[in-house]
Amino acid sequence: MVDTDAFIDEATAEIADEIGDKNAIIALSGGVDSSVAAALAYRAIGDQLTPVYVDTGLMRKGETEGIRETFAFMDSLRIVDAKDRFLDALSGVTDPEEKRHVIGEGFIREFEREAKEADADYLVQGTIYPDRIESEGNIKSHHNVGGLPEVIDFEGIVEPVRDLYKDEVREVARALDLEEVVSERMPFPGPGLAVRIIGEVTEEKLDVAREACHVVEEEVEEHDPWQAFAAVIGKATGVKGDNRVHGWVVSVRSVESRDGMTARAQDLPWETLQRIQSRITGENDDVARVVYDVTHKPPATIEYE
Amino acid sequence: MTRIVVVDNHGQFTHLEHRALRDAGVDTDIVDNTTPPEDLDVDGLVLSGGPDMDRIGRCAEYLEMDVPVLGICLGMQIMATQLDGAVDAGDYGGYADVTVRIVDADDPVVGSLAPETRVWASHADEVVELPTGFTHTATSDVCDIEAMSDADRDLYGVQWHPEVAHTEEGEELFANFIERCR
Repeated sequence: MVDTDAFIDEATAEIADEIGDKNAIIALSGGVDSSVAAALAYRAIGDQLTPVYVDTGLMRKGETEGIRETFAFMDSLRIVDAKDRFLDALSGVTDPEEKRHVIGEGFIREFEREAKEADADYLVQGTIYPDRIESEGNIKSHHNVGGLPEVIDFEGIVEPVRDLYKDEVREVARALDLEEVVSERMPFPGPGLAVRIIGEVTEEKLDVAREACHVVEEEVEEHDPWQAFAAVIGKATGVKGDNRVHGWVVSVRSVESRDGMTARAQDLPWETLQRIQSRITGENDDVARVVYDVTHKPPATIEYE
Repeated sequence: MTRIVVVDNHGQFTHLEHRALRDAGVDTDIVDNTTPPEDLDVDGLVLSGGPDMDRIGRCAEYLEMDVPVLGICLGMQIMATQLDGAVDAGDYGGYADVTVRIVDADDPVVGSLAPETRVWASHADEVVELPTGFTHTATSDVCDIEAMSDADRDLYGVQWHPEVAHTEEGEELFANFIERCR
């Protein structure tokens, strides 16, 4: 395991040395990797760092407010409201890969503008060791701003946690007093709720996914999953009161994992599952049924798209 | 220091094999599977898993280097096909939880896990014929040849993934293999 205090000192010195008196930008997602990278860079260069958080409208309930609070100590934090631009761009898009592409392009456009405004010479990224291996193997590209260096000619890219594994980054986060990033926020994918909606992303489906994810996170908290959420996977028939409903099917997922590479579907108590079902169907008029996903990874992935 | 490198066959768990070795305290690295054998100054090799038998680079040559080799998933299937065994599509894909029964408790790499070990797997194909000189060392309900060994040449194959967190006793398997490399 990593010696956190020594790591923090070394990483801070390295960043300060590399960036000097220039300006840098970091895309802050609220996830543990970018949060740690941002906190280290902020220690190193203070307000020469502009952390940028883009609210895509695909965020979880309370996410943007949480970010604002957690990172209030960074005076240079920029929060960009880009909801309308993202939803417009996603309109009519149903293919999962196309969705990711549209969102990735959207991020690049937002950060291109912000980087120019901040007059940034350096890009700081929260790339971790497995990201590098997976990117080299072309399994998937990891960063929302992965294409940013192609549109902006940065002097350099700084990746302070590039040699760490996820659980080690979490240790460093704790040592940096970012406890709430580690304990109160589960892993959340870059494309946000868009990958928890099968088919086109609409405001209606986003509302269902956001509320349902919130219910799941609350109800499973005592079972301490590695990740838990709900996805809107289709439509089916139900009956509410004496009326037929053709409403959304919400799939609930709660998994145990060390590193996200493999995962076990949690053996949740029936009462917990029933409470989740009751709240999601009761609080959302247009949800017709709730199912629980019992598939491990492999063969399934953790997220749906 | 004992040096064991991981040959990357483009598997999603390659970096976890690296981590298992690093955490066990050996000197390790991940190398491309096109690295010339003469550039590998090592005491042992791990052949990673991967998606495709057509992208195994120079793995066949690494089996001739006279150092212990641990083939994981596709890495084991490479051993079988490059020597004189055979691989075919299994009847039943092995995914996630599998209970493996050790059939050779004297095997240096999997023997100490006897009688049973719970593992995490992810494969459609499997070894259906052992190469000459190999012993069948483990089996399960979803895959007959879960592991094989040629202890004389120090070549070992396991169909499951000892490097992932959900495999019980994965660290012990790596420790056993590292002993063969010292």
